[in-house]
Amino acid sequence: MSEIRFEGVERRFHRPGGNFLALENICFEVAEREFVALVGPSGCGKTTLLRMAAGLDFPTGGRVLVGNREVRGPGPDRAVVFQQFALFPWKTIRQNIGFGLKCKGTPLTQRREIIEHYVTLMGLQGHGDAYPHQLSGGMQQRVAIARSYALEPDVLLMDEPFGALDAQTRVLMQEELVRLARDNPRTVLFITHSVDEAVYLADRVIVMTPRPGRISAIIDIGLVRRTERWIDCEHIEEVMAQKSFVHLRSRIWRLLRGLESSGETVGRAMETGVG
Amino acid sequence: MIGAAPILLLIIAWFAATGPLGLIAPLKFPSPAIALASLETIAGPGYASAPLAEHIETSLSLVLAGFAAATLTGIPLGLLLGTSRYANACINPIFQLLRPIAPIAWIPLTILWFGLGGGAKIFVVWLAAFAPAVINTQTAVRGVNRTVIEAAKVHGARRVNLFFDVTIPAALPGIFTGMRLSLQACWMVLVAAELVGAYTGLGHVMIIATEDLDSGMIFVAMLCVAMLGVAMSLLLARLEAWVLPWRR
Ligand SMILES: Nc1ncnc2c1ncn2[C@@H]1O[C@H](COP(=O)(O)OP(=O)(O)OP(=O)(O)O)[C@@H](O)[C@H]1O
Ligand SMILES: [Mg+2]
Repeated sequence: MSEIRFEGVERRFHRPGGNFLALENICFEVAEREFVALVGPSGCGKTTLLRMAAGLDFPTGGRVLVGNREVRGPGPDRAVVFQQFALFPWKTIRQNIGFGLKCKGTPLTQRREIIEHYVTLMGLQGHGDAYPHQLSGGMQQRVAIARSYALEPDVLLMDEPFGALDAQTRVLMQEELVRLARDNPRTVLFITHSVDEAVYLADRVIVMTPRPGRISAIIDIGLVRRTERWIDCEHIEEVMAQKSFVHLRSRIWRLLRGLESSGETVGRAMETGVG
Repeated sequence: MIGAAPILLLIIAWFAATGPLGLIAPLKFPSPAIALASLETIAGPGYASAPLAEHIETSLSLVLAGFAAATLTGIPLGLLLGTSRYANACINPIFQLLRPIAPIAWIPLTILWFGLGGGAKIFVVWLAAFAPAVINTQTAVRGVNRTVIEAAKVHGARRVNLFFDVTIPAALPGIFTGMRLSLQACWMVLVAAELVGAYTGLGHVMIIATEDLDSGMIFVAMLCVAMLGVAMSLLLARLEAWVLPWRR
């Protein structure tokens, strides 16, 4: 049981000079093994939502449930890739990747195997014994991703995990994530600023508006992906060239620009026909 | 070795001012020749009832003992005050009350408690070195990056992991800063303590030399303190670089 459910979540922050309403009436769920992407302008509360699912922040109204249980703190079933990497500067790349396994008590030989697997998978060969500050931003981000993947958690919470990557590495990571999601699907809540990325990766895309943060639309991508057989495409550019992809992408862009009024789209978004 | 040039300049200025230019009287400040003669006296036959090596040994061992005591007590207390609100509320007021009293001001009391032997001096050195160790450790623990702590938590860290894998390594740079300041405080207060009552030691040499109006000998003792202080700081820096290979 690893679905995430937000039930009428509200989050106020205390600030000098009054309360600040960051999130209002957030209702949605990420089904078990579903990949949901959150898009929305900066400051609309995406990170705050993710932190609540992680158990690092708590709603001031409503409930957040993971696997039917109210979230009371971080747990071994969930791992987070942070927007600012948050690597341990005093640990080598290998030690960073193996940190969760060490906490879990995984035997050393098995731990080593898993670490090597992810060092290779993330293209970090030759840097295993370096410290984070000796790596480029993109490499650091890959370490952060590997640190979370290595735990094989039921739920992955990713806050713009590819934000610091160069375009090429970003595409490689996205394709890798699609492959991982296909071979070993997990429940994923994924924040991104890139609409293309959201449409390419997610089963559903949630579009948010700011001040206060609200959900403006939920777009189903999974149905289109299956009927249009995006999965047969080996590379992202092939998917992006599909008419169905272009359609969904411009639809989300219009939502973000506020060209479509939000009220009606919530209902309409569910059917999401193509063309 | 950066800073060699200014020191060289200082030495040249010293030669010039005390020698050919005759700007400073030998009684006020020794010329290089006088200082060298004093060094030969104390290194060979000895001065103030012991040879130089014995004075250095006395001072050095007192500093090492006081520094070790301050490090071994100050760092754990700093960790406690940094991690526990409760301990902080209990202990901090006492700490704040005692802090304005200069360590040297404790010398009269400690002589009553321990006599004129090493005990009183180690106590005073410990007292002086304790505060920087505690305060810097505490500040370092408080300043640990919150996101890194959260990252540890979401990857399954329990209290033990948080303490040993996050808090301690994150605080180590600050702890080393505290140790560096502690070490400086040790030397400052030791010489003062030895001025008051001692049978050997570099501070004792200075007092006897003052009575003898021997500026050369005062200078030699001061130079020894400076060299020992610098040498110990360098060793500490080596240790820091070895313990913290991840720092840029
Ligand atoms: N601890 C806090 N105290 C006060 N206000 C906060 C706090 N954390 C977040 N906020 C506010 O809540 C709002 C949402 O912040 P959040 O970080 O969730 O945005 P975001 O959607 O992740 O933005 P970005 O895309 O720039 O990362 C912002 O206006 C922010 O100023
Ligand atoms: Mg954010």
